[in-house]
Order: sequence, then C-alpha cells, then structure tokens
Amino acid sequence: MKIQVRYLVAVISLGALSYSCMEELPTELEYNGYEFAELDQDAGEWNLILFASNEEVTIPQPSAVGSPSLNQELQDAKAKIAGATPAQKEAVSYWTNNPLLRWNEIALELSTKYNLIPAPNADGTYPAPDPTKPDQYPLFPYSHPPYTSRMLAYLSVAQYDGLIMAWHYKEKYGRPAPYELDPQIKSAYESNGLNSYPSDGAVVAISSRDILTAMFPLEKEFLAKMADEHLESLVIAGINVSSDVEAGKLIGTQAAKKALARASTDGMKNAQTNKVKSDSIKNAAIARFGWSWENQETPQRPVGLTPLFGRVKMWNVPTVEEVRPIAPPAPGSEEFKENAEELKRYANNMTTEQRRVANFWNDGLNSYTPPGHWNRFAKETVVKNRLSPVRTARVFAYMNMAIVDAGISCWDAKYYYHYPRPIQSIPGFKTILGTPNFPAYTSGHSTFSAAAAEVLSHFFPAEATQYKKWAEEAAMSRVYGGIHYRFDAEIGLSQGKNVGAYSVTRAKKDQVD
Amino acid sequence: MNIKLKFLSLLLVGMGISILTIAQTPLDGLMMPKGEICVAVVYEDANWEKYWEGAYLRTNQNVGTFNRKMIMPMIVGGITDKINVIVSLPYVKTSASGGQMAGAEGLQDFSVSLKAQLVDHTMGKGKLKVFSNLSFSTPASNYLSDYLPFSLGFGANELGLRAIGMYELDKGPYLRISGAYLLRGATEAERDFYYEDNAYYTSTMDVPDALQAQASLGSWFFQKRLRVEASLTSLRCATGDDIRIYNSPQPTNKVNFDRVEGFAQYYLKSVKGLGVLAYYNHMFSGRNMGQFSGYGLGLTYQFNAF
Repeated sequence: MKIQVRYLVAVISLGALSYSCMEELPTELEYNGYEFAELDQDAGEWNLILFASNEEVTIPQPSAVGSPSLNQELQDAKAKIAGATPAQKEAVSYWTNNPLLRWNEIALELSTKYNLIPAPNADGTYPAPDPTKPDQYPLFPYSHPPYTSRMLAYLSVAQYDGLIMAWHYKEKYGRPAPYELDPQIKSAYESNGLNSYPSDGAVVAISSRDILTAMFPLEKEFLAKMADEHLESLVIAGINVSSDVEAGKLIGTQAAKKALARASTDGMKNAQTNKVKSDSIKNAAIARFGWSWENQETPQRPVGLTPLFGRVKMWNVPTVEEVRPIAPPAPGSEEFKENAEELKRYANNMTTEQRRVANFWNDGLNSYTPPGHWNRFAKETVVKNRLSPVRTARVFAYMNMAIVDAGISCWDAKYYYHYPRPIQSIPGFKTILGTPNFPAYTSGHSTFSAAAAEVLSHFFPAEATQYKKWAEEAAMSRVYGGIHYRFDAEIGLSQGKNVGAYSVTRAKKDQVD
Repeated sequence: MNIKLKFLSLLLVGMGISILTIAQTPLDGLMMPKGEICVAVVYEDANWEKYWEGAYLRTNQNVGTFNRKMIMPMIVGGITDKINVIVSLPYVKTSASGGQMAGAEGLQDFSVSLKAQLVDHTMGKGKLKVFSNLSFSTPASNYLSDYLPFSLGFGANELGLRAIGMYELDKGPYLRISGAYLLRGATEAERDFYYEDNAYYTSTMDVPDALQAQASLGSWFFQKRLRVEASLTSLRCATGDDIRIYNSPQPTNKVNFDRVEGFAQYYLKSVKGLGVLAYYNHMFSGRNMGQFSGYGLGLTYQFNAF
C-alpha cells in the first residue's frame, strides 16, 4: 500500500512540474516605442521614389497654436485620453511610435497566410487563383516569393514617399505636438520634439491599409479594423490631434494611390502565363541550349510559377538583360557532373548543421518567403539602431526595391535558361526540401538574399559581415537541401549583389546615410 | 536505497513514449510478479495511401503510399508484484512510394513507464482489477519533428497518466477499459518562424496534449497459453490547428484517430517463457494524420531474474 501512495505522489508532482514549464510563444517582434536616434528633420528634402515633388499632395494649412479650433482639438484629445479603455491603451503600446514595423509585420503575416500552392483537381488538372473571384478556391492571391517581393516593394515605397512628404510639411508648418502644447497631455512614448502636423502615423496607417487591401483583397475588413485601431491610438497616445491625423490620411491615401497606379501597369498581371505561352518559352530555351526544365510533380503542373515575372517593370535597373548572368554548365558536362556529385554527397552524409541551415532558410510554402525573412532582419536592426519612422521607411523602400528587382532578374534567368532541377537531372535523387515549381538557375534565395544584404550593408555598415554571412548561408541552404546546384547559388549571389548595387547607387544620391 | 529512490532514478534514466501504436504492455491488464523480467521485440509495418487534411480524407500522389517500419525492443520488469516497470526504444524508418522527398530513419523516443496495480478484487465469477500507468518519453535522437509526414515522432517529452479497469472471468474472457491523459511539451523546429492560425516568431512549437481511450474485449484459451483480443482505440488532441490545404502537416496539428485492432499472443509449450504475438490494426476515422493500417509481429521471453 505504501508503495502505491508513493506512486501517486510521484504522479502528482510530475504533473505539476510539467505544467510549470509552459510558456507563452511570441507572435510578433518584441519592441516598444523608443527614442529616435535622430529626428531627421531634413528628410522632407530627400529624393522621392514615385512623386515628383514633396508638395505634390497638398494638405490644408493647419490652424495656428492658440487658435480656438486647435484648443478644441486639444480638449477633445484630453477627453479621449481620459476615457481610454484598456484595449485602447493596449493598442497604444502595440503600435508604438514607429508603427511601420507593425504594418510590415502584418504584411508578412498575410504573405504567410496566402502562401499555399493550389492543389490538383480530381481530374488531374490544376486550378489557378482568379483576382476577380478572390474568395473562390484557390484563394487570391497565392503569395509566392515573386508576389510577396513585389507587394513589399509597393508597401515600402508608398510608406516612404508618404513619410518624406509628411516630414516636409512637419518642418514647413512647424506645429508642435499636443503634449508640448498642453501640459496635461503626456506622450505615451519618448517625447522627442517632432512636429505633429501632419501625423506620420496616419500616413503609415492609411498607405499600408490601402496597399495591403489591394494586394490581399479578402483581408479588407481586417485591415480596415487594424487601421482604425491604429489611427485612434495616435490621439490617445498624446502625439497627435485629429487635424494631424486627417492631414496624414490625405497623404497616405495619395501615396498608396500613386503606388497602386504603377502596380496596375507593371506587367505583373501577365506574369502567370497559359500553357501555350509557357511552352513557347520552354521551346525557345531548347532551341537556344538544348535542355529544358520540367515540373516533376504528380500530376504534373502544366505551367511553372510566373514565367513572365522577369518582364515585370524594375525599380532601379534600366533593363533586365544587363543583369542577366552567364549561362550555366550544360547538363552532362564535367562541371555539371562535379556539381551533381556534390549534391549526392550532401544527401548521403547530411550533417546536423547542414540540415539545420537547409530548414532554417527554407522559407517555402506557408512562410513569409525569403523577402519576408530579410524584412524581419531589417525590422530587428531598425529597432536596434532606433531609427526614426522616415529613416526606417528609407531602409525598407530601398531594400524592398532591390529585393523585387533581384526577383525579376532571377526569374528572367530562370525562364531564359530554363535549367532543370536536380530531381529532374539526377536519377533517383531524393531531397529533404520540396522542389519549387520553377527552373533551377539561378537560385531565388541567393539573389533575393544578396540584394537585401547589399542594401542593408549600405545602411548598417557595422552589420555588413553578418548580412554577407546570412546571404551566403541562405544560398548554400538550397544546395544542402538538394534543390539547387552550387552554381545556381553562387551565380545567384553575385547576380543579387549586382542588382542590389543599383538601389544603393540611387540611395546614395541623398548623401544622408 | 529505498523504493522511492529507485523509482525516481528510473524516471530520470528514462523518459519518452512513442505514438505507441503497439505498446500493449503499458495498456494491458497484466502484471509481472516481482523479480520476473520479460524481454520483447516487436516489428511493425504500417502504410497509408490517404491522409486526413483536417477532417478531409485526401490522396497525394507526391507521397503515394506512405510506409513506416518500426522495430521496438522492450523490457518489462516486476519491481514488486504490484509495480512493474516498462522500458522501450523504437527504431523507426519512414518512406514514400511517390514524389522525391527523402524518408527518415533513426531512434525515436525512449520511454519508461511504471504500472501499478491498485485493485485486485474477487467479484462474482471473476476478478476486478484496476491499474494505473505513469509513462514518460523523450526523443532518443535529434530527429526533426518538423518534417512531417516523414518525421519519426513529434519530438517532445510526453508524460502520460493512465487508468485501466478490467473485469476478467475465471473462465478466460475479459473486458478492459482504459483512459489516459498525455501531457506533451514543446518541440524545436529548425525554422524560427511558422504559422499556426497566426504567425509565430520562434522555433518552439507547442505539441498538443491528447486524451487516449481504449476498450478491449478478449479471452484466454488453452490454460492461459493463448490470449486473443479485439480493441478500439481513440486519440483526441486537446488543442492544435488543422493541416492547411495541400500543405505539409506540422507538430502543432490537432491529431485525432479511431482505430480497431486484433491482437493475439501465444506462449509456446516447448520453450518455457517464450511467446509470440501478432496484431493488425486499421484507422477508420481521423484528423490531420495518415490513415494507417498495419501489422505487428513480436517475440517475448519471460524469465525469473531475481
């Protein structure tokens, strides 16, 4: 009997022990509002990406300090602050004084949510997402790496141009923040002396909402709810009055509109082709090189992913041909055989570290993709360096333009060279990563990563060694995973670096980094 | 060195439960007398051609037929007449007939479990027996749990507490019912971002806890040389997400199944202590897992050690 009692005691204590080990898992970047390293008061004069002038969007002249209307707004703000619910206060701490990071995070989450490849129909054919019927399976969009890279560029460029204009008017009108005008109003974040008209937060909220709604139409209501919560938090945080917010909304709306106008004619809508066009692209490669890539899935996908993404309008590279890499070694050549042998060696003797690298960088289906991964790194570095909102937007705009340009260049190479994947060329070859539905040469991970690393190294030279290491690791991860040859990865790295340099050259014109 | 210390040291030495498709012993109504040891080896071969994506049963030609082979050595020892210890360490190999994804193989989870008999009552023409089983398992190799469907296991510690009730007629037939709560810890993925209804910025994945229930009807024949049993087993995860459309499963999934099984064990007359066992099982409903059908064959050898 004694033994049985002991048994029960042991059971209960072990149970208690296990429960105490549970922890909350992080669902967002953990950061709070912070004091900006610099206010970047001259940022209103930085070069815009899409707009011709920093007053192309006009906003009303703000009411003066001491005017009855501004005093009324201050009274209204105090009433809102006094009556703030716990949820509204939580929103203030969630959005912070650099809310672009939150909107970028939302963008990555939606990329992940919509990054699912269409399943075959019962008859072996494949359905495709239809932007005119986004809620019909497969849902629109299928946010694969090209889609996500392009989405992030439009998001970041709209935010950046909007914030440059906001900074211009902040300096021009010089209206102090409510917490400086009324001693009863306290800023929820570090007081920094940044002028508050127009609200930079509202520019970010509305430009982000509108870009993301166009890119993820089924999320319209969710995004509207997030934007409303964000706008409301600006007044409750004590950093804006309602006219600041209204003026910011005007800029945000126009910035998104300008970006979406470009998006509507950039060629993306032709990127996913039909089979006839896809076959003609393949036949051109066979005529040129004597080889072609074939999808290896069952049932076979008749068309690769976005064969004409390589024709999408680039941001900072004049023509895609000028960054096209040299031809890969012919399948069956000595150089090819050496590379194929290397893959077999990895597959047969995979080390723990190689497996970890392959999986860490996989960023495949149901993920934020490699462009998302680099946006995550950028967010972490921005917080570490306490960048102002406008300088944050600058990093993201130049990085994401470089990333999508790298994607366009990579896709141009993929379908120009139409190079087979290892599972097609090496008989019986098995991989630990899924092989994507597009040709091998060059590696998307490598080009995206090298371009991102090039731009981030310009903005954060102290981190350059780390970025280079990450890009190289991302490139090799595909080789360890068995889905790319070493030359796909290495040439992809130099291609991405080359493309990224165009973005850096443009950024350097401001002479502010 | 008292019993309590022995008990604790046993727990510390071991840990781990597999998806214990077979582990009849922790679930059954048998006890080894003090000093007896039973050594067993079980080989299992199971397949699926369809899997449940959420509740939807689908095929995927890029997997084709999925196969899992397992060889599991197991030792059962009688610490006392009323407390037994059970240790097992399966070696698992997975593969698929379709597609180009590599299978996996290696040691799965080391499991140690203690079974105590709490009630042993004569009642009418039979006996009522109640047992409790406490099990702990932990991954025995660095296999990647986030490599489904090929991963060898769910890659987390599991603490299981089971109650077993059994009524056995003196003539041989018995009815056994058991219920268990399986408390599972977290597993580590090799990616540090994943999606489970929303984004997670960590490599830690919460493996859902599960409830397991089993009802068995069996009987002894030939002076207790042959045991034949039919059982129904159900597993329900307490939480977790569904596999997304045409996407890979992940360890956070809510895994459920219902399975029927036929089992037979025979103790040879010719060699004292030697037994053979065989079973077949089939899943008839489930959620977020392959619809396995499989068989197992085993050898058991029982002897008096101390």
